[in-house]
Amino acid sequence: MIFQQLLNGLVVGGVYSLFALGFALVFGIHHILNLAHGGVFMTGAFLGLYAVLQGLPLWLGFVVAALGGGLLSVLIEFMAFRPLKKSGETEFGAIISSIGANLIIISIAQKISQTEVMRFPFETFPVIIYRFWGLRVSFLQLFMALMALALMAVLLYFLYRTPIGRKIRAVAGNEHAAILLGVNPNHVFFTTFFLSGALAGVAGVLIGLAFNSIHFMMGEPFLLSAFVICILGGMGSIVGTMVGGLVFGMIHTLSVAYLSSGLTESIIYGLLFVMLILRPNGLFGKSAAGALRVQR
Amino acid sequence: MMQFFLTYQPVLDHGLLSLGFAFSQWVVLRAGVFSVASAGLAAIGGYSAALLHLDGGLPPFVTILLGAVLGGLFGVALAWPLARLRGVYQAIASLAFVQIVLSLNLYAEGITRGALGVDGIPKLVETPLLLLLSAGLIYLMHSVNTYRLGRTFETVRQDEAVANSLGISTIHFQTIAFAIGGVIAGLYGGLTAFHSYHLDPAQFGFEFLVAALSFVILGGRRSVVGPVIGTAVLVILPELSREFGEFRQLGYGVILMIVIVFMPQGIADTYLSWSRKKRLASQQEAQ
Amino acid sequence: MSTLRLQGVGKNFDGLRAVDQVSLEVPQGKITGLIGPNGAGKTTLVNMITCLLSISEGTIFLDDHNLTDALPYEGARCGIARTFQNIRLLPEATVLENIVCGFHLKEHSSLWSALLGLGSSRAEKRELEALAMRLLDRFDMRPFAGLEAGGLSYGHQRKVEIMRALATDPKLLMLDEPVAGMNDAEAEELGRIIRELASEGIGILLIEHNMRFVMQLCDFIYVLNSGSLIAQGTPEDVSQNPEVVAAYLGGSTC
Repeated sequence: MIFQQLLNGLVVGGVYSLFALGFALVFGIHHILNLAHGGVFMTGAFLGLYAVLQGLPLWLGFVVAALGGGLLSVLIEFMAFRPLKKSGETEFGAIISSIGANLIIISIAQKISQTEVMRFPFETFPVIIYRFWGLRVSFLQLFMALMALALMAVLLYFLYRTPIGRKIRAVAGNEHAAILLGVNPNHVFFTTFFLSGALAGVAGVLIGLAFNSIHFMMGEPFLLSAFVICILGGMGSIVGTMVGGLVFGMIHTLSVAYLSSGLTESIIYGLLFVMLILRPNGLFGKSAAGALRVQR
Repeated sequence: MMQFFLTYQPVLDHGLLSLGFAFSQWVVLRAGVFSVASAGLAAIGGYSAALLHLDGGLPPFVTILLGAVLGGLFGVALAWPLARLRGVYQAIASLAFVQIVLSLNLYAEGITRGALGVDGIPKLVETPLLLLLSAGLIYLMHSVNTYRLGRTFETVRQDEAVANSLGISTIHFQTIAFAIGGVIAGLYGGLTAFHSYHLDPAQFGFEFLVAALSFVILGGRRSVVGPVIGTAVLVILPELSREFGEFRQLGYGVILMIVIVFMPQGIADTYLSWSRKKRLASQQEAQ
Repeated sequence: MSTLRLQGVGKNFDGLRAVDQVSLEVPQGKITGLIGPNGAGKTTLVNMITCLLSISEGTIFLDDHNLTDALPYEGARCGIARTFQNIRLLPEATVLENIVCGFHLKEHSSLWSALLGLGSSRAEKRELEALAMRLLDRFDMRPFAGLEAGGLSYGHQRKVEIMRALATDPKLLMLDEPVAGMNDAEAEELGRIIRELASEGIGILLIEHNMRFVMQLCDFIYVLNSGSLIAQGTPEDVSQNPEVVAAYLGGSTC
């Protein structure tokens, strides 16, 4: 029984990883907390749903979600974060600005969906169950796991083997130096935010399929989970976040299965709190919590 | 005239209560702490006040005071872990605290009545009391700004290295800010309980902290008049236009984004800064 | 007579040895210089003395006070004050307000009094402002009291920073590149002020690049290069030391 839950958790964890990766990418490169990431995730789910409702095949729905998520993310970068670079209030301002952007996105979604919880049509994904070793795996779970793995592999390849990926990592390391070396930071911002949003969009559709519910607030719990995952994995470490997501997925699923879901919430947030306290330098050592910085 | 007042009394009360929460957020930001924990501290204060009266039989105003004290104590307790963090990490940790309070509230249904919330709290808090308390609160916050607390908070907020070089213990003063903010949040949580007949957990969640942040960001984070203006605008605006009222969250979102980019200091602070520059410039010319 | 004593002080940053086995003394009433090429570790050393950075090895004593593991704000409480390399004033506050910040250690009104706005807080505010005005008078800057600190010239900002540091009533004042960016006249005036402060009994640690300034003012000089002391002595000794000359003119700035 416990292995079943672990398996379920692993699958969900894969999707958590996708979501957290998008978040970690932006934080790693720009040191910005994009609190609108949950909204992008939710938008991706809705876009996928509407695509399918319009009669498009599911795979196209994924593409729409990825594109839509990516573009929305880029829009958020342009409207919420870029204007702040001039006024200098970056850290505090970015958080406030992204909270604002998120509120706007959620409100629009609420109005459009009329606060209803929506579902994918029944035939969207074939319901096939496989059994082995006493465990039960659905075709959907298999699909989710493979999708998550594939996207993570693509991301790793992209970051470590392509010229753009190198530029992204250069900017993450030292923005000024990268600019001096000829990297156009705006390209990097565009690319990272797009990637981040695309991953979130796909994750949204996957979760929408898995839990059979899509509603305007679905992104919010994921955002807080993303914090936990990123801290677990060591923010900025792509592989760490991936592993962190899987571990988190398992812990979450086990906790919901064996304790109550209410207690799970408390545990997760408690875990977040404790981790922040115990590992204040766990997030991007350079912005170290203990360092003395000028704040304005 | 009387009709006008009676119609708008709820708005005034709501504004006066919101002002308290705005100041509880303001005072921690003043000391450079990026904490949104007021929501959780208000919940603790409010629920304690309500439950100690309804279930514990204690007289209401005693429980309101106890709620304030608890808010302060939890604020101080938060200060220690949060003082080790900076910037966004403080924000996340304080957000986690709010969620923890919310989740535990829902989980401990036996005591807190869970998601349905607490009903049947006697309405004992009326406009005159709120007006009096607001006046007192503004006076206290003005004192904070004018004397040694404000001076020290400002130094800690702007430049920790300088603060340390002048012998200021950052943790000590941030703890004081948390204590003051916690007491105010707890107090106003209790006042809310005995004003609205009802409390529920969702009241002290994300919407609450966005509102408290918005009041301070819109109005100003440094001057005392900032939260007053911010609260006034954001409480009155939904009343003036039905559309804004419906799209309240959207409105808050737009305001947050616009203000932080174009007027990052907030309405009051931007104006005060501008008029001060003008005054100093003309003084300088006169020399 | 107080003396700041560093013994075998070292600092590691993830394997990089920023400061290595530095021992030096800064006596009260004298002007001690700390020079060295860029990146030699001077500011790191200053940050360690003021307890902003932890010390990897060695000890720091001010008389009998062991400052080796002190908290960042304890340095000032023991009587160590400093100015910063890139002037760190509160730019939007007035000159007066900036200096009054420095009187933190003199504040005696209770926190309750500050919260309630009682008489003792009001009296304290007046008292501290009067003390600040006295400092301004001494530095001939009374007319600047109400001006925004950020709008002043570099030279004036430096003086305000020094006034703020003096407000803490220090036994030891560390000046991190005080005359960088100043013209000769301003530098000379600052030199005069520094000599005055030393004659009043404050120990000065002067970190500077401007060789002429350092040679003219200092009673004793320590030369740092790549984290280690390569020379120490009177200005004459040091200026003739071939290693020092090489460090400044020849080798790479590490």
